[in-house]
Amino acid sequence: MATAVLDLEFEKLPPEINGLDRYSQALILIRLRRQPVGQTLLPIIDGRISGFEIRDALIDAAGWNLWERWIYNYLGLDSAQFSNSKFPTATVAVCTRDRPEELKRCLEALMRLPDDGQELLVVDNCPSNEATRRIVTNYGRVRYLREDRPGLNVARNRALRESQHDIIAFTDDDAAPDPDWLRALVRNFDDPLVLCVTGLTMPLELETDAQEWFECHSPFGRGFRRTVFHSFNLNPMAAGQVGAGVNMALRRNVLEFIGQFDESLDVGTPTRSGGDNELFARILAAGYRIIYDPAALSWHRHKRTRKEVRQTFYGYGVGVYASLTRSLLIEGELSTLKIALSWFCNSQLPALIRSLFRRSRSVPLDLLLAELCGCAVGPWAYLSSRKRLRTKE
Amino acid sequence: MNRDMPTISIIIPTHNRSASLLRTLDALRVQTYPLQQVEVLVVADGCSDGTVEGLRHYTAPFALYFIEQTNQGAAAARNHGAAYAKGQLLLFLDDDVEPTPPLIKSHVRAHQNRPSRVVIGPYPPVLQGRADFINIFMRTWSETKFLAMRQPSHRYTYRDLLSGNLSLEAELFTRLGGFDPAFRSCGGEDYEFGVRLIKAGVPFTFASDALCYHYNHETTDLDRLFERMRREGHSDVLIGLRHPELRPTLPIAHIEAYCASLRYIMRTLALTLAFRLPKAGDLLAIPLRRVLDLLERIRLRGPWLWLCRGLRGYWYCRGVAEELGTPKALNGFLRNNPNCANIDATESEIDLHDGLEVAEKRLDEERPAGVRIRYRQQSVGRIPPQPGAERLRGVHLRRILATEFAKPLLKALAVEGTTNEFINADHLLADFKRAVLCSTHAGDVTDHALYLERPNKKHIQKNQLI
Repeated sequence: MATAVLDLEFEKLPPEINGLDRYSQALILIRLRRQPVGQTLLPIIDGRISGFEIRDALIDAAGWNLWERWIYNYLGLDSAQFSNSKFPTATVAVCTRDRPEELKRCLEALMRLPDDGQELLVVDNCPSNEATRRIVTNYGRVRYLREDRPGLNVARNRALRESQHDIIAFTDDDAAPDPDWLRALVRNFDDPLVLCVTGLTMPLELETDAQEWFECHSPFGRGFRRTVFHSFNLNPMAAGQVGAGVNMALRRNVLEFIGQFDESLDVGTPTRSGGDNELFARILAAGYRIIYDPAALSWHRHKRTRKEVRQTFYGYGVGVYASLTRSLLIEGELSTLKIALSWFCNSQLPALIRSLFRRSRSVPLDLLLAELCGCAVGPWAYLSSRKRLRTKE
Repeated sequence: MNRDMPTISIIIPTHNRSASLLRTLDALRVQTYPLQQVEVLVVADGCSDGTVEGLRHYTAPFALYFIEQTNQGAAAARNHGAAYAKGQLLLFLDDDVEPTPPLIKSHVRAHQNRPSRVVIGPYPPVLQGRADFINIFMRTWSETKFLAMRQPSHRYTYRDLLSGNLSLEAELFTRLGGFDPAFRSCGGEDYEFGVRLIKAGVPFTFASDALCYHYNHETTDLDRLFERMRREGHSDVLIGLRHPELRPTLPIAHIEAYCASLRYIMRTLALTLAFRLPKAGDLLAIPLRRVLDLLERIRLRGPWLWLCRGLRGYWYCRGVAEELGTPKALNGFLRNNPNCANIDATESEIDLHDGLEVAEKRLDEERPAGVRIRYRQQSVGRIPPQPGAERLRGVHLRRILATEFAKPLLKALAVEGTTNEFINADHLLADFKRAVLCSTHAGDVTDHALYLERPNKKHIQKNQLI
């Protein structure tokens, strides 16, 4: 049975939650004064969860985060260190390709952001019809850009160049950012060494087994503590740990200091993903910082069918190995080998073993094997993608 | 003194960096402050690269003077410049910074209506693309420092007194006796001046808009870094001799902090080599220095950082050894602390139950060196007097409570009950009591830290399973 996804404010817990007959359990995001502090998984019995149960479980799950947040509130402090300065205005960019329904949900969510003068930008990547343009015209504030060269990274680069503001927040079209999302991202740019900020991404729904497997094997969330990453506390080649392109903001001068997104990577090219990771790695390697701030919350709709998730996992395998190949060959980063090995030993192999022994919360073997196949293809995919890009130029 | 538009003397000590100096002077031409109120004094400290000839032909829109002296170090050069300065304010700049146009105006504004203070401006490294590891390391250090000083809740210490972009009234500078020229070329005279400023109760102010860019990537490399560590060893001993109460705060008292692992073995090794076998140590340091280059070429950051730290620690110890001579002298230096009683030990006590604003106001009025904090009957903690740090101000309180006393404060609030008007605060505290107090034996409620950590770890494991 499916998992209900609930978003609960600790100070306004309902006495009972019912009407959850379709679900066997609930994934609960716990917030204190709108800030996410933890998550937990609770069983649903007879379609309901009682208030007492929730309260205890949430306190247990959120642990110290909850109390730390509480004490910051009591003291009138903001947990992000830099609460005293004026925040810069930003551009929000959505890169999309032939997914008008998904885009609509995303734009609806963006309409709920408080108006701080942000620019909203939709980059329509190599569209096969006019559906996206028609949807965007319904939203007066949204600027529409058409980019005919295919590739997510191509669209991202276009957004970086065309934005009116110096900070560009990216969201995927299949995500729905929380109203506080943008403010939480931009307030972290106080430090000039921070070129990128990422946020917490939770599943929008877990209605199918495929979605649960996705959330189990490769969740977008990176925990509930704000973390500052730099090349001396995180190996840049392990940059996947800082977040993902579905929920990130960049400073535009990343173009000047780091260079643009590699257009031979990510969706729309043979490499299928990895473009965000690879830029994170270059940012860290050049000595700049990336902040992960869970206050910047977004909701992602995972793929619903097993087939789609299999393809996604395959794509992740290809993308990760393609971006590692780039780092090894172009940047000369020898530690890519170590990272690839430790990913296999610490994550892929244990997942395979769990799956073989059919442990609880294990992911079907075909999905894991798809990822491994992707890894094997990744280096060649990068080389062919690069070659293709060159011949086009 | 003309408070609205004071005259200002900019003092730039320089040593064989004529091109860099010209960049600094060029940037001063386009200041937003009226230049007839400005004079610039360049003190050429034993220059042999034509710096002085270059200045002779430089036409400036402000009064420009240059003073030559034999090589005596930056401290003497700054004092020398200050002795000739006619301005009401002195602004010290380094010769490798590039001021932004509002620099002078921002310094002047920071002094306005608030006499007798030092104003420190940021001079972060100019940002660039791919940098080598050492510049990343240095850049991270300085940006972290300036970011911390930009927080209103920052508690200043003498190590915040950086002299590359610093202003104060000429009268105050003279009254405190200026920089100590005995530091000569080993640097650290700014820290020592900082100690005297702190002791005299001079407030520090950070002016974020008084910005310069630092071109230190032109002059920083590993060899210079190690040389600087060696000089820092010298200067820290000098600081410790002049201000014995600071000895426990000096890096020499915490050498092991330079080593990421095997701390105490590495500490002993560095000290033994530096004090007893300096020749062998230097011989070993040369090939290890080459290993750093190799590690950078294959971009292995972890081992690079580890080795770089170790070598920095070694060269720092070498500097200390050259100044003190024998291990016995080092032990004496660290142990004999004749002026312990000299530590400024005024402590007060605040009760947070009176309200945070009241507590802050009391700190502002009393300015104690340390404070005992309680919430009604419950002790929350003690901020001990900290040698070399400014006395406490109200604005420090909340940040310190949040970072150092969060757990005891929560416990005190839970036990005493709170009177503030937060929604559902009573419920929260009831939960906290249950979560915290019930999860342990009734007896050991005193050691709050222990049982708060436990559920947290459990929680992390649980989260990973999802």
